[in-house]
Amino acid sequence: MKTFIYNIGYFFKEAIRTIKSNVLSNFISVIGTSLILFLLGMVVTVTYIGNEFVSKLEQEAEINAYYKENLNNEDIIELTEVISNIEGVTDARLVDEEEAKSYMEGMLGEEAKILELFDENPFTAYIEVRINLSTMDNVIPEISRLDDIDYVRDNKGVLSQLNGIIRGIEIFGALIIIAVGITTLIIISHLIRQGIYNNKEQINTLRLLGASEGFIGFPYILVGLLLTLLGGLIGTILLLLLINGSYDLLGNGFLFLPLPDRGLMVRYIIMFIMGISFILGLLGSLFGLSSIGKNN
Amino acid sequence: MITANKLSLRYPDGTLALRDIDLHIDKGEMVFITGPSGSGKTSLLKLLLGMEFPTEGSLTIMGKPMVKGHNKDMRNLRRNIGPVFQEFKLIEGRSSLENVMTGMRFLGSNPKKIKEEAYKALVKVGLEDKIKSKVENLSWGQQQRVAIARAVARKPSIILADEPTGNLDKDNALHILSLLKEFKNNNTTVIITTHATHLIEDVQGVTHLHMDNGSITVERKEIVG
Repeated sequence: MKTFIYNIGYFFKEAIRTIKSNVLSNFISVIGTSLILFLLGMVVTVTYIGNEFVSKLEQEAEINAYYKENLNNEDIIELTEVISNIEGVTDARLVDEEEAKSYMEGMLGEEAKILELFDENPFTAYIEVRINLSTMDNVIPEISRLDDIDYVRDNKGVLSQLNGIIRGIEIFGALIIIAVGITTLIIISHLIRQGIYNNKEQINTLRLLGASEGFIGFPYILVGLLLTLLGGLIGTILLLLLINGSYDLLGNGFLFLPLPDRGLMVRYIIMFIMGISFILGLLGSLFGLSSIGKNN
Repeated sequence: MITANKLSLRYPDGTLALRDIDLHIDKGEMVFITGPSGSGKTSLLKLLLGMEFPTEGSLTIMGKPMVKGHNKDMRNLRRNIGPVFQEFKLIEGRSSLENVMTGMRFLGSNPKKIKEEAYKALVKVGLEDKIKSKVENLSWGQQQRVAIARAVARKPSIILADEPTGNLDKDNALHILSLLKEFKNNNTTVIITTHATHLIEDVQGVTHLHMDNGSITVERKEIVG
Protein backbone atom coordinates (compact mmCIF):
# COMPACT_ATOMS: atom_id res chain seq x y z
CA MET A 1 0.00 0.00 0.00
CA LYS A 2 2.88 2.33 0.91
CA THR A 3 4.51 1.61 -2.44
CA PHE A 4 1.20 2.30 -4.17
CA ILE A 5 0.77 5.67 -2.46
CA TYR A 6 4.40 6.66 -3.17
CA ASN A 7 3.85 5.91 -6.84
CA ILE A 8 0.46 7.51 -7.53
CA GLY A 9 2.13 10.35 -9.43
CA TYR A 10 4.19 7.85 -11.42
CA PHE A 11 1.10 5.78 -12.29
CA PHE A 12 -0.72 8.83 -13.63
CA LYS A 13 2.35 9.93 -15.58
CA GLU A 14 2.67 6.46 -17.11
CA ALA A 15 -1.04 6.39 -17.96
CA ILE A 16 -0.87 9.78 -19.70
CA ARG A 17 2.26 8.66 -21.53
CA THR A 18 0.50 5.50 -22.73
CA ILE A 19 -2.47 7.55 -23.93
CA LYS A 20 -0.19 10.02 -25.72
CA SER A 21 1.75 7.20 -27.37
CA ASN A 22 -1.28 6.34 -29.51
CA VAL A 23 -3.25 9.57 -29.64
CA LEU A 24 -5.28 8.91 -32.79
CA SER A 25 -6.45 5.46 -31.79
CA ASN A 26 -7.31 6.64 -28.28
CA PHE A 27 -9.11 9.71 -29.64
CA ILE A 28 -11.27 7.56 -31.94
CA SER A 29 -12.06 5.22 -29.07
CA VAL A 30 -13.04 8.11 -26.81
CA ILE A 31 -15.36 9.49 -29.49
CA GLY A 32 -16.88 6.03 -30.01
CA THR A 33 -17.36 5.58 -26.28
CA SER A 34 -18.86 9.08 -26.00
CA LEU A 35 -21.46 8.34 -28.66
CA ILE A 36 -22.32 4.99 -27.12
CA LEU A 37 -22.75 6.53 -23.69
CA PHE A 38 -24.74 9.40 -25.21
CA LEU A 39 -27.12 6.82 -26.69
CA LEU A 40 -27.36 5.13 -23.31
CA GLY A 41 -28.00 8.50 -21.67
CA MET A 42 -30.86 9.17 -24.09
CA VAL A 43 -32.54 5.89 -23.18
CA VAL A 44 -32.06 6.61 -19.48
CA THR A 45 -33.51 10.10 -19.92
CA VAL A 46 -36.59 8.83 -21.75
CA THR A 47 -37.14 6.17 -19.08
CA TYR A 48 -36.70 8.77 -16.35
CA ILE A 49 -39.22 11.15 -17.91
CA GLY A 50 -41.65 8.30 -18.58
CA ASN A 51 -41.48 7.13 -14.98
CA GLU A 52 -42.05 10.68 -13.81
CA PHE A 53 -45.13 10.93 -16.04
CA VAL A 54 -46.61 7.71 -14.71
CA SER A 55 -45.85 8.74 -11.16
CA LYS A 56 -47.54 12.11 -11.75
CA LEU A 57 -50.56 10.45 -13.31
CA GLU A 58 -50.79 8.03 -10.44
CA GLN A 59 -50.62 10.81 -7.89
CA GLU A 60 -53.36 12.69 -9.67
CA ALA A 61 -55.64 9.72 -10.23
CA GLU A 62 -59.13 10.93 -10.69
CA ILE A 63 -62.28 9.65 -12.22
CA ASN A 64 -65.24 11.51 -13.66
CA ALA A 65 -68.68 10.36 -12.60
CA TYR A 66 -71.46 11.48 -14.99
CA TYR A 67 -74.90 11.59 -13.43
CA LYS A 68 -78.31 11.16 -15.02
CA GLU A 69 -79.69 14.26 -16.69
CA ASN A 70 -82.95 14.32 -14.73
CA LEU A 71 -81.27 15.13 -11.38
CA ASN A 72 -81.95 18.46 -9.74
CA ASN A 73 -79.37 20.49 -7.83
CA GLU A 74 -80.25 19.00 -4.46
CA ASP A 75 -79.95 15.47 -5.83
CA ILE A 76 -76.57 16.30 -7.31
CA ILE A 77 -75.29 17.74 -4.01
CA GLU A 78 -76.56 14.66 -2.19
CA LEU A 79 -74.96 12.34 -4.76
CA THR A 80 -71.63 14.17 -4.39
CA GLU A 81 -71.89 13.70 -0.65
CA VAL A 82 -72.59 9.96 -1.04
CA ILE A 83 -69.64 9.54 -3.34
CA SER A 84 -67.26 11.45 -1.06
CA ASN A 85 -68.16 9.04 1.76
CA ILE A 86 -67.15 5.95 -0.20
CA GLU A 87 -63.98 4.34 1.17
CA GLY A 88 -61.01 5.19 -1.01
CA VAL A 89 -62.42 8.50 -2.22
CA THR A 90 -60.34 11.45 -1.04
CA ASP A 91 -62.43 14.20 -2.58
CA ALA A 92 -65.55 14.67 -4.70
CA ARG A 93 -66.79 17.90 -6.18
CA LEU A 94 -69.14 19.09 -8.86
CA VAL A 95 -67.68 20.40 -12.11
CA ASP A 96 -70.31 22.32 -14.03
CA GLU A 97 -70.52 22.74 -17.83
CA GLU A 98 -68.56 26.01 -17.88
CA GLU A 99 -65.72 24.65 -15.77
CA ALA A 100 -65.58 21.49 -17.90
CA LYS A 101 -65.26 23.66 -20.99
CA SER A 102 -62.55 25.92 -19.56
CA TYR A 103 -60.65 22.84 -18.33
CA MET A 104 -60.65 21.46 -21.86
CA GLU A 105 -59.61 24.85 -23.24
CA GLY A 106 -56.66 24.78 -20.88
CA MET A 107 -55.66 21.33 -22.05
CA LEU A 108 -56.01 22.14 -25.74
CA GLY A 109 -54.07 25.40 -25.49
CA GLU A 110 -53.85 27.04 -28.89
CA GLU A 111 -56.05 24.29 -30.35
CA ALA A 112 -58.92 25.44 -28.15
CA LYS A 113 -60.12 27.56 -31.08
CA ILE A 114 -61.84 24.43 -32.31
CA LEU A 115 -64.39 24.78 -29.48
CA GLU A 116 -65.59 28.06 -30.99
CA LEU A 117 -67.17 26.01 -33.79
CA PHE A 118 -69.86 24.84 -31.35
CA ASP A 119 -72.91 27.06 -30.97
CA GLU A 120 -73.55 25.69 -27.51
CA ASN A 121 -71.25 24.40 -24.83
CA PRO A 122 -70.81 20.72 -25.77
CA PHE A 123 -69.62 19.69 -22.31
CA THR A 124 -71.77 18.25 -19.59
CA ALA A 125 -71.39 18.64 -15.87
CA TYR A 126 -69.87 15.79 -13.86
CA ILE A 127 -68.59 14.91 -10.42
CA GLU A 128 -64.81 14.92 -10.20
CA VAL A 129 -63.73 12.17 -7.82
CA ARG A 130 -60.19 11.96 -6.50
CA ILE A 131 -59.22 8.55 -5.24
CA ASN A 132 -56.35 6.48 -3.94
CA LEU A 133 -55.01 4.62 -6.92
CA SER A 134 -54.72 1.41 -4.94
CA THR A 135 -58.48 1.40 -4.30
CA MET A 136 -59.41 2.12 -7.91
CA ASP A 137 -60.60 -1.42 -8.63
CA ASN A 138 -63.15 -1.28 -5.79
CA VAL A 139 -64.20 2.35 -5.95
CA ILE A 140 -65.13 2.49 -9.65
CA PRO A 141 -67.67 -0.39 -9.52
CA GLU A 142 -69.13 1.00 -6.31
CA ILE A 143 -69.74 4.43 -7.87
CA SER A 144 -71.01 2.85 -11.07
CA ARG A 145 -73.59 0.88 -9.07
CA LEU A 146 -75.18 4.04 -7.68
CA ASP A 147 -78.67 4.57 -9.17
CA ASP A 148 -78.13 8.20 -10.14
CA ILE A 149 -74.87 7.56 -11.96
CA ASP A 150 -75.07 7.29 -15.72
CA TYR A 151 -71.49 6.22 -16.33
CA VAL A 152 -68.00 6.56 -14.94
CA ARG A 153 -64.97 7.55 -16.95
CA ASP A 154 -61.59 6.55 -15.54
CA ASN A 155 -58.04 6.84 -16.88
CA LYS A 156 -57.11 3.35 -15.75
CA GLY A 157 -56.69 2.18 -19.32
CA VAL A 158 -54.46 5.12 -20.16
CA LEU A 159 -52.38 4.53 -17.06
CA SER A 160 -51.89 0.86 -17.72
CA GLN A 161 -51.04 1.58 -21.37
CA LEU A 162 -48.52 4.21 -20.33
CA ASN A 163 -47.14 1.84 -17.74
CA GLY A 164 -46.78 -0.78 -20.43
CA ILE A 165 -44.89 1.67 -22.64
CA ILE A 166 -42.58 2.62 -19.78
CA ARG A 167 -41.90 -1.05 -18.97
CA GLY A 168 -41.16 -1.55 -22.66
CA ILE A 169 -38.73 1.36 -22.63
CA GLU A 170 -37.14 -0.05 -19.48
CA ILE A 171 -36.62 -3.44 -21.11
CA PHE A 172 -35.26 -1.69 -24.19
CA GLY A 173 -33.07 0.40 -21.89
CA ALA A 174 -31.75 -2.71 -20.16
CA LEU A 175 -30.90 -4.24 -23.54
CA ILE A 176 -29.18 -0.99 -24.54
CA ILE A 177 -27.21 -1.01 -21.27
CA ILE A 178 -26.07 -4.58 -21.96
CA ALA A 179 -25.14 -3.72 -25.55
CA VAL A 180 -23.38 -0.53 -24.50
CA GLY A 181 -21.62 -2.38 -21.70
CA ILE A 182 -20.32 -5.11 -23.97
CA THR A 183 -19.28 -2.65 -26.68
CA THR A 184 -17.47 -0.38 -24.23
CA LEU A 185 -15.77 -3.36 -22.60
CA ILE A 186 -14.57 -4.54 -26.01
CA ILE A 187 -13.29 -1.07 -26.96
CA ILE A 188 -11.50 -0.46 -23.67
CA SER A 189 -10.06 -3.95 -23.28
CA HIS A 190 -8.81 -3.76 -26.88
CA LEU A 191 -7.17 -0.39 -26.13
CA ILE A 192 -5.50 -1.79 -23.03
CA ARG A 193 -4.29 -4.85 -24.90
CA GLN A 194 -2.88 -2.58 -27.57
CA GLY A 195 -1.14 -0.46 -24.92
CA ILE A 196 0.29 -3.58 -23.31
CA TYR A 197 1.46 -4.91 -26.66
CA ASN A 198 3.14 -1.58 -27.48
CA ASN A 199 4.89 -1.60 -24.11
CA LYS A 200 5.63 -5.29 -23.82
CA GLU A 201 9.40 -4.70 -23.67
CA GLN A 202 8.97 -2.28 -20.80
CA ILE A 203 6.59 -4.65 -19.01
CA ASN A 204 9.05 -7.50 -19.42
CA THR A 205 11.89 -5.38 -18.06
CA LEU A 206 9.86 -4.30 -15.04
CA ARG A 207 9.03 -7.94 -14.37
CA LEU A 208 12.70 -8.92 -14.58
CA LEU A 209 13.51 -6.15 -12.10
CA GLY A 210 10.98 -7.63 -9.66
CA ALA A 211 7.96 -5.36 -10.12
CA SER A 212 4.64 -6.88 -9.08
CA GLU A 213 1.83 -7.44 -11.57
CA GLY A 214 -0.21 -4.81 -9.72
CA PHE A 215 2.56 -2.23 -10.11
CA ILE A 216 2.93 -3.04 -13.79
CA GLY A 217 -0.80 -3.15 -14.49
CA PHE A 218 -2.12 -0.18 -12.54
CA PRO A 219 -1.18 2.49 -15.11
CA TYR A 220 -3.19 0.51 -17.70
CA ILE A 221 -6.21 0.42 -15.40
CA LEU A 222 -5.86 4.19 -15.15
CA VAL A 223 -5.69 4.44 -18.95
CA GLY A 224 -9.00 2.56 -19.26
CA LEU A 225 -10.61 4.62 -16.52
CA LEU A 226 -9.41 7.97 -17.86
CA LEU A 227 -10.51 7.21 -21.43
CA THR A 228 -13.93 5.89 -20.42
CA LEU A 229 -14.54 8.74 -18.00
CA LEU A 230 -13.56 11.20 -20.74
CA GLY A 231 -15.97 9.42 -23.09
CA GLY A 232 -18.65 9.57 -20.37
CA LEU A 233 -17.99 13.28 -19.85
CA ILE A 234 -18.32 14.09 -23.55
CA GLY A 235 -21.44 11.90 -23.81
CA THR A 236 -22.93 13.67 -20.79
CA ILE A 237 -22.19 17.13 -22.20
CA LEU A 238 -23.89 16.19 -25.50
CA LEU A 239 -26.85 14.84 -23.58
CA LEU A 240 -27.15 17.95 -21.42
CA LEU A 241 -27.15 20.09 -24.54
CA LEU A 242 -29.95 17.93 -25.93
CA ILE A 243 -31.94 18.01 -22.68
CA ASN A 244 -31.58 21.77 -22.30
CA GLY A 245 -32.54 22.29 -25.94
CA SER A 246 -35.58 20.05 -25.56
CA TYR A 247 -36.72 21.76 -22.36
CA ASP A 248 -36.41 25.16 -24.00
CA LEU A 249 -38.39 23.87 -26.98
CA LEU A 250 -41.14 22.14 -25.01
CA GLY A 251 -41.51 24.84 -22.37
CA ASN A 252 -43.15 23.60 -19.21
CA GLY A 253 -45.00 20.60 -20.39
CA PHE A 254 -45.51 17.83 -22.88
CA LEU A 255 -48.81 16.12 -23.70
CA PHE A 256 -50.59 18.03 -20.89
CA LEU A 257 -48.04 16.82 -18.35
CA PRO A 258 -45.31 18.88 -16.70
CA LEU A 259 -41.72 17.84 -17.46
CA PRO A 260 -39.66 16.52 -14.52
CA ASP A 261 -37.49 18.95 -12.56
CA ARG A 262 -34.57 19.66 -14.87
CA GLY A 263 -31.91 20.05 -12.17
CA LEU A 264 -32.87 16.82 -10.43
CA MET A 265 -32.95 14.86 -13.67
CA VAL A 266 -29.64 16.28 -14.90
CA ARG A 267 -27.95 15.35 -11.60
CA TYR A 268 -29.34 11.83 -11.84
CA ILE A 269 -28.18 11.40 -15.42
CA ILE A 270 -24.69 12.81 -14.76
CA MET A 271 -24.27 10.42 -11.84
CA PHE A 272 -25.60 7.49 -13.84
CA ILE A 273 -23.44 8.05 -16.93
CA MET A 274 -20.26 8.84 -15.00
CA GLY A 275 -20.88 5.91 -12.64
CA ILE A 276 -21.40 3.48 -15.48
CA SER A 277 -18.36 4.94 -17.29
CA PHE A 278 -16.25 4.25 -14.20
CA ILE A 279 -17.49 0.68 -13.86
CA LEU A 280 -17.09 -0.09 -17.57
CA GLY A 281 -13.63 1.53 -17.65
CA LEU A 282 -12.51 -0.53 -14.70
CA LEU A 283 -13.91 -3.81 -16.05
CA GLY A 284 -12.59 -3.15 -19.56
CA SER A 285 -9.14 -2.43 -18.18
CA LEU A 286 -9.18 -5.59 -16.08
CA PHE A 287 -10.22 -7.67 -19.09
CA GLY A 288 -7.47 -6.05 -21.13
CA LEU A 289 -4.95 -6.59 -18.35
CA SER A 290 -5.70 -10.28 -18.23
CA SER A 291 -3.77 -10.42 -21.49
CA ILE A 292 -0.50 -9.24 -19.89
CA GLY A 293 0.57 -12.76 -19.04
CA LYS A 294 -0.38 -14.08 -22.46
CA ASN A 295 1.56 -11.40 -24.32
CA ASN A 296 4.70 -11.78 -22.26
CA MET B 1 24.54 -17.66 -1.94
CA ILE B 2 24.30 -19.52 -5.28
CA THR B 3 24.55 -23.30 -5.65
CA ALA B 4 24.10 -25.37 -8.79
CA ASN B 5 24.14 -29.16 -8.92
CA LYS B 6 24.31 -31.02 -12.21
CA LEU B 7 22.54 -28.03 -13.73
CA SER B 8 21.44 -28.37 -17.34
CA LEU B 9 19.36 -26.19 -19.60
CA ARG B 10 17.83 -27.36 -22.82
CA TYR B 11 15.80 -24.86 -24.87
CA PRO B 12 12.46 -25.93 -26.37
CA ASP B 13 14.11 -26.25 -29.82
CA GLY B 14 16.38 -28.94 -28.38
CA THR B 15 19.55 -26.86 -28.04
CA LEU B 16 21.50 -27.93 -24.98
CA ALA B 17 22.79 -24.59 -23.63
CA LEU B 18 24.19 -25.78 -20.29
CA ARG B 19 25.24 -29.24 -19.24
CA ASP B 20 25.95 -30.71 -15.81
CA ILE B 21 27.18 -27.54 -14.17
CA ASP B 22 28.28 -27.71 -10.53
CA LEU B 23 28.80 -24.31 -9.02
CA HIS B 24 29.05 -22.61 -5.66
CA ILE B 25 29.30 -18.84 -5.31
CA ASP B 26 29.60 -17.24 -1.87
CA LYS B 27 28.24 -13.94 -0.63
CA GLY B 28 30.52 -11.06 -1.58
CA GLU B 29 32.29 -13.07 -4.27
CA MET B 30 33.10 -11.47 -7.60
CA VAL B 31 32.92 -13.89 -10.50
CA PHE B 32 33.99 -13.33 -14.08
CA ILE B 33 32.54 -15.77 -16.57
CA THR B 34 34.42 -15.85 -19.83
CA GLY B 35 34.14 -17.96 -22.93
CA PRO B 36 33.42 -17.74 -26.63
CA SER B 37 30.03 -16.84 -28.05
CA GLY B 38 27.55 -19.66 -27.57
CA SER B 39 29.48 -21.13 -24.67
CA GLY B 40 26.50 -20.69 -22.32
CA LYS B 41 27.44 -17.53 -20.39
CA THR B 42 24.22 -15.65 -21.08
CA SER B 43 22.14 -18.80 -20.57
CA LEU B 44 23.67 -19.19 -17.12
CA LEU B 45 22.81 -15.56 -16.29
CA LYS B 46 19.27 -16.12 -17.58
CA LEU B 47 18.93 -19.02 -15.17
CA LEU B 48 20.26 -16.89 -12.32
CA LEU B 49 17.68 -14.21 -13.07
CA GLY B 50 14.81 -16.67 -13.47
CA MET B 51 14.34 -15.91 -17.15
CA GLU B 52 14.87 -19.62 -17.76
CA PHE B 53 14.57 -22.60 -15.45
CA PRO B 54 16.73 -25.73 -15.11
CA THR B 55 15.62 -28.63 -17.27
CA GLU B 56 17.82 -30.97 -15.23
CA GLY B 57 19.68 -30.68 -11.95
CA SER B 58 19.04 -27.91 -9.43
CA LEU B 59 19.84 -24.28 -8.84
CA THR B 60 19.42 -22.53 -5.49
CA ILE B 61 19.82 -18.79 -4.99
CA MET B 62 19.72 -17.23 -1.53
CA GLY B 63 18.27 -20.47 -0.22
CA LYS B 64 15.40 -20.56 -2.74
CA PRO B 65 15.26 -23.25 -5.42
CA MET B 66 14.70 -21.86 -8.89
CA VAL B 67 11.48 -23.58 -9.91
CA LYS B 68 9.00 -22.36 -12.47
CA GLY B 69 5.70 -21.09 -11.09
CA HIS B 70 6.85 -19.69 -7.75
CA ASN B 71 6.05 -16.16 -8.85
CA LYS B 72 6.20 -14.43 -5.47
CA ASP B 73 9.54 -16.06 -4.58
CA MET B 74 10.85 -15.14 -8.01
CA ARG B 75 9.72 -11.55 -7.62
CA ASN B 76 11.39 -11.24 -4.22
CA LEU B 77 14.56 -12.78 -5.58
CA ARG B 78 14.62 -10.42 -8.55
CA ARG B 79 14.25 -7.45 -6.21
CA ASN B 80 17.54 -8.55 -4.64
CA ILE B 81 19.29 -8.75 -7.98
CA GLY B 82 20.70 -5.87 -9.97
CA PRO B 83 20.72 -7.05 -13.57
CA VAL B 84 22.68 -5.43 -16.39
CA PHE B 85 21.33 -6.86 -19.60
CA GLN B 86 23.43 -7.28 -22.71
CA GLU B 87 20.81 -5.36 -24.69
CA PHE B 88 20.38 -2.91 -21.75
CA LYS B 89 16.54 -3.14 -21.67
CA LEU B 90 16.20 0.58 -20.98
CA ILE B 91 12.80 2.19 -21.34
CA GLU B 92 12.71 4.53 -24.31
CA GLY B 93 11.11 7.93 -24.03
CA ARG B 94 12.36 8.27 -20.44
CA SER B 95 15.38 10.13 -19.17
CA SER B 96 18.41 8.41 -17.65
CA LEU B 97 17.17 9.41 -14.22
CA GLU B 98 13.66 8.08 -14.84
CA ASN B 99 15.11 4.78 -16.06
CA VAL B 100 17.19 4.34 -12.94
CA MET B 101 14.27 5.38 -10.74
CA THR B 102 11.90 2.96 -12.49
CA GLY B 103 14.03 0.06 -11.26
CA MET B 104 13.59 1.22 -7.67
CA ARG B 105 10.00 2.45 -7.47
CA PHE B 106 8.50 -0.85 -6.30
CA LEU B 107 11.11 -1.48 -3.60
CA GLY B 108 9.27 0.52 -0.96
CA SER B 109 11.36 3.68 -0.63
CA ASN B 110 9.83 7.12 -0.89
CA PRO B 111 10.20 8.99 -4.19
CA LYS B 112 12.58 11.60 -2.78
CA LYS B 113 15.02 8.95 -1.55
CA ILE B 114 14.70 7.05 -4.83
CA LYS B 115 15.56 10.19 -6.76
CA GLU B 116 18.60 10.86 -4.58
CA GLU B 117 19.88 7.29 -4.92
CA ALA B 118 19.28 7.27 -8.67
CA TYR B 119 21.11 10.56 -9.04
CA LYS B 120 24.08 9.26 -7.01
CA ALA B 121 24.26 6.11 -9.12
CA LEU B 122 24.31 8.14 -12.34
CA VAL B 123 27.06 10.34 -10.95
CA LYS B 124 29.04 7.22 -10.07
CA VAL B 125 28.92 5.96 -13.64
CA GLY B 126 29.95 9.41 -14.90
CA LEU B 127 26.62 10.49 -16.37
CA GLU B 128 25.88 13.51 -14.19
CA ASP B 129 25.56 15.67 -17.31
CA LYS B 130 23.10 13.24 -18.97
CA ILE B 131 20.60 12.88 -16.18
CA LYS B 132 17.75 14.51 -18.07
CA SER B 133 18.69 13.13 -21.48
CA LYS B 134 16.32 10.64 -23.06
CA VAL B 135 18.07 7.28 -23.19
CA GLU B 136 17.52 6.86 -26.93
CA ASN B 137 19.58 10.01 -27.47
CA LEU B 138 22.59 8.57 -25.64
CA SER B 139 25.45 6.65 -27.20
CA TRP B 140 25.64 2.85 -26.70
CA GLY B 141 28.32 3.29 -24.10
CA GLN B 142 26.25 5.86 -22.21
CA GLN B 143 23.18 3.62 -22.37
CA GLN B 144 25.24 0.80 -20.95
CA ARG B 145 26.28 3.00 -18.07
CA VAL B 146 22.63 3.93 -17.40
CA ALA B 147 21.86 0.19 -17.29
CA ILE B 148 24.68 -0.28 -14.78
CA ALA B 149 23.45 2.66 -12.70
CA ARG B 150 19.97 1.14 -12.67
CA ALA B 151 21.41 -2.15 -11.39
CA VAL B 152 23.63 -0.71 -8.67
CA ALA B 153 21.21 1.98 -7.45
CA ARG B 154 18.96 -0.78 -6.14
CA LYS B 155 21.71 -1.82 -3.70
CA PRO B 156 21.14 -5.46 -4.59
CA SER B 157 22.55 -8.57 -2.92
CA ILE B 158 23.62 -9.89 -6.30
CA ILE B 159 24.68 -8.00 -9.41
CA LEU B 160 24.34 -9.94 -12.63
CA ALA B 161 26.03 -8.18 -15.51
CA ASP B 162 26.01 -9.54 -19.03
CA GLU B 163 28.93 -7.99 -20.94
CA PRO B 164 28.76 -4.73 -18.97
CA THR B 165 31.90 -3.35 -20.58
CA GLY B 166 31.11 -4.51 -24.09
CA ASN B 167 30.41 -1.07 -25.50
CA LEU B 168 32.78 0.97 -23.41
CA ASP B 169 36.24 2.28 -24.17
CA LYS B 170 39.08 1.02 -22.00
CA ASP B 171 38.99 3.86 -19.47
CA ASN B 172 35.23 3.67 -18.98
CA ALA B 173 35.37 -0.13 -18.85
CA LEU B 174 37.99 -0.05 -16.11
CA HIS B 175 35.97 2.57 -14.27
CA ILE B 176 32.87 0.36 -14.38
CA LEU B 177 34.84 -2.69 -13.26
CA SER B 178 36.26 -0.79 -10.31
CA LEU B 179 32.74 0.44 -9.45
CA LEU B 180 31.42 -3.12 -9.51
CA LYS B 181 34.36 -4.21 -7.39
CA GLU B 182 33.35 -1.60 -4.82
CA PHE B 183 30.08 -3.48 -4.49
CA LYS B 184 31.95 -6.75 -4.06
CA ASN B 185 33.84 -5.12 -1.23
CA ASN B 186 30.47 -4.18 0.32
CA ASN B 187 29.56 -7.90 0.43
CA THR B 188 27.50 -7.86 -2.75
CA THR B 189 27.95 -10.88 -4.99
CA VAL B 190 28.95 -9.70 -8.46
CA ILE B 191 28.75 -12.00 -11.47
CA ILE B 192 29.99 -10.66 -14.78
CA THR B 193 30.17 -12.28 -18.17
CA THR B 194 32.69 -10.81 -20.54
CA HIS B 195 34.68 -11.34 -23.68
CA ALA B 196 37.20 -8.73 -22.61
CA THR B 197 39.64 -11.04 -20.83
CA HIS B 198 42.40 -8.46 -21.19
CA LEU B 199 40.48 -6.11 -18.88
CA ILE B 200 40.07 -8.59 -16.07
CA GLU B 201 43.55 -10.05 -16.02
CA ASP B 202 44.68 -7.53 -13.47
CA VAL B 203 41.57 -7.58 -11.26
CA GLN B 204 42.53 -9.20 -7.99
CA GLY B 205 40.55 -11.35 -5.56
CA VAL B 206 38.01 -12.66 -8.03
CA THR B 207 36.83 -15.99 -9.38
CA HIS B 208 37.31 -16.81 -13.04
CA LEU B 209 35.02 -19.30 -14.69
CA HIS B 210 35.70 -20.24 -18.27
CA MET B 211 32.85 -21.80 -20.18
CA ASP B 212 32.84 -23.75 -23.38
CA ASN B 213 30.07 -25.66 -25.06
CA GLY B 214 27.70 -25.27 -22.09
CA SER B 215 30.14 -26.48 -19.45
CA ILE B 216 32.54 -24.82 -17.02
CA THR B 217 35.97 -25.87 -18.20
CA VAL B 218 38.18 -23.80 -15.91
CA GLU B 219 37.50 -22.50 -12.42
CA ARG B 220 40.08 -20.39 -10.65
CA LYS B 221 39.48 -18.72 -7.31
CA GLU B 222 41.80 -16.05 -6.02
CA ILE B 223 41.86 -15.63 -2.31
CA VAL B 224 43.59 -12.27 -2.02
CA GLY B 225 41.43 -9.20 -2.76
